[in-house]
Amino acid sequence: MVGDPIGDYLPTLIRFVVLAVVVLGVSVGVHYVLRNVFHLKRDIAIGFSLITPWILGFLIFNLIPIVSTFVLSFTDYNLQQTPNFIGTQNYETLIGSDINFWPSIRLTVLYSVISVPISVTLSLLLSLVLSRNLKGIGVYRVLYYLPSIVPAVAVVLLWRWIFNPDVGLLNLILSPILNLTNTPSPDWFGDEKFVLPAFIIMSLWTALGNNTVIMLGARKGVAGDLYEAASIDGANSWTKFLRITIPMMTPAIFFLVVVEFASAMQLFTPAAFARATPAAGRFMNLLIYTYGFQQSRMGYATALAVILFLLILAATIVLFRSQARWVYYEGQER
Amino acid sequence: MSATVTQSTASPGNASWNPARIRRVIGKAIAYILVSALGVVFLIPLFWLVSSSLKIGNEIFDQPVQWWPAVPQWNNYPDAWNALPFTRFLFNTLFVTLLPLVAEVLVSAIVAYGFSRFVFPGRNILFLVMISTMFLPDAVKLIPTFIIWNSFGLINHYDPLVLASVLGGTPLFIFLMRQFFSTIPKEIEEAALIDGANVVQTFMRVMLPLIRPALLSVSIIGFQGHWNDFLGPLIYLNDQAKYTLTVGMYFFTGGVNERPHWEWLMAMSTLMIIPILILFIIFQRYFIEGLTSGAVKG
Repeated sequence: MVGDPIGDYLPTLIRFVVLAVVVLGVSVGVHYVLRNVFHLKRDIAIGFSLITPWILGFLIFNLIPIVSTFVLSFTDYNLQQTPNFIGTQNYETLIGSDINFWPSIRLTVLYSVISVPISVTLSLLLSLVLSRNLKGIGVYRVLYYLPSIVPAVAVVLLWRWIFNPDVGLLNLILSPILNLTNTPSPDWFGDEKFVLPAFIIMSLWTALGNNTVIMLGARKGVAGDLYEAASIDGANSWTKFLRITIPMMTPAIFFLVVVEFASAMQLFTPAAFARATPAAGRFMNLLIYTYGFQQSRMGYATALAVILFLLILAATIVLFRSQARWVYYEGQER
Repeated sequence: MSATVTQSTASPGNASWNPARIRRVIGKAIAYILVSALGVVFLIPLFWLVSSSLKIGNEIFDQPVQWWPAVPQWNNYPDAWNALPFTRFLFNTLFVTLLPLVAEVLVSAIVAYGFSRFVFPGRNILFLVMISTMFLPDAVKLIPTFIIWNSFGLINHYDPLVLASVLGGTPLFIFLMRQFFSTIPKEIEEAALIDGANVVQTFMRVMLPLIRPALLSVSIIGFQGHWNDFLGPLIYLNDQAKYTLTVGMYFFTGGVNERPHWEWLMAMSTLMIIPILILFIIFQRYFIEGLTSGAVKG
């Protein structure tokens, strides 16, 4: 084999085992201290001891990085030199004079705002169809789930061919309509007007299967006796759909919208490999990668990351606030 | 279902084709047509993936479209595999997939057990904090995390892709498994305790086997995530020999002096799908069950 696999794997493996032992030791230590030094109850000591690995991970891989990102965004850090504090200059440059900034925000936000509702609605409808007692349901489940297991790199390259203006599958299928209306075939990733629709179509193909599986789970969880009770009350199937199925599925819909929106805002691999025309703007996460890792402007890139974070945070807060209006939780009065 | 039975016994013969039943049959037919049509739409790109992997380089762009190559080039597979050190890439990928997977599933189960079964002060707030980290964009942590690993001198090592799994587990996994734990009656644990088992024994011998569907579904999600990860290996690994399959594949998209090898890329992509596909087909029942109990009671 090429290189020195054992020499590459073994040190990591050793550090992995050592770290695992250390974490285990800390957990046991927490239990010992809480029980024997503070004389706390058994449940409290065991509970804290069991969640110790998470607390450690939260501090090291969440809290410290987030705080650092905010701090770094006010510096000119470039990996080589010690960072200098430069105030809000990164933000001023980004918002005021960076020609990539606004197109990037526009593309990322529009993509998320349009693709997520379409994807969630379609997966809801699909799950309703699939939840009927169809024969061979397993086959369809596998079929729809297939696209979400294809490596993202392969997905993009596949779609680059499908979107090819001259020999791509999509324009081939569209050609009768295009000829009829006498419109030139769109150059999907090459024409700034079509970049956004192209990304949305691609995302639907990738995400629909995954989302449908989650929706299907939620659909199955709706208790059958609710429908029986409604039937006795003389409700027809449309009323049952509107008054039982949909409300009972709103927690899953909500969960999906929040998670999907956050991940849509952070689109990376498809954005990196679509080679879409830069005229349409670059996705924010790709721009962060470009500034930070290709141009080594870490401080500047973290300022962009903070803005992305604030956008997602704002959207998440709005969604959570809206919950009271449309999300129904069992055992809770409306 | 029961409605159909009563209908047909009440009015035998042709009369059973009443409007309600006709409507039901038509509804079912439409459902079949819909799911099948959509299934075809979903399959076409995948079919193309496989058929392209068997073509001669430029045939992919032939007009009119060649749905299946005249002479399937099966040797594309060994050719692609040998064009770059893919055997090494496969072992690298397995290393950065299986090691963190085992750790993160086990650690998540332990943390989930702590959150679901033991009452301690601040439990709900800590759980809420844990859930909210699920919604934190990775982008905001990416650069400082890179700097942390860099300061330990671990860039171009596998550590950044592997070690984090020991600490913390994965919020989504903890969430799903906690939901699953909460469906298990407390009496089962109490019985184990009376039999003299300690917490570790109860967890390993009684609780873990009971949440097997959840363990399976998070394992599939986790496997898929590490197996297909691209950004992580791209940022942290520099030597070609250390690359994973996804990063290696990317070289087939062509460079400054080299034409892209689409057929090789498609061949490698097809190969990469197979392990996950097998896992999903075998475990799809558990997979849905494992996800369901989390999403519904969420």
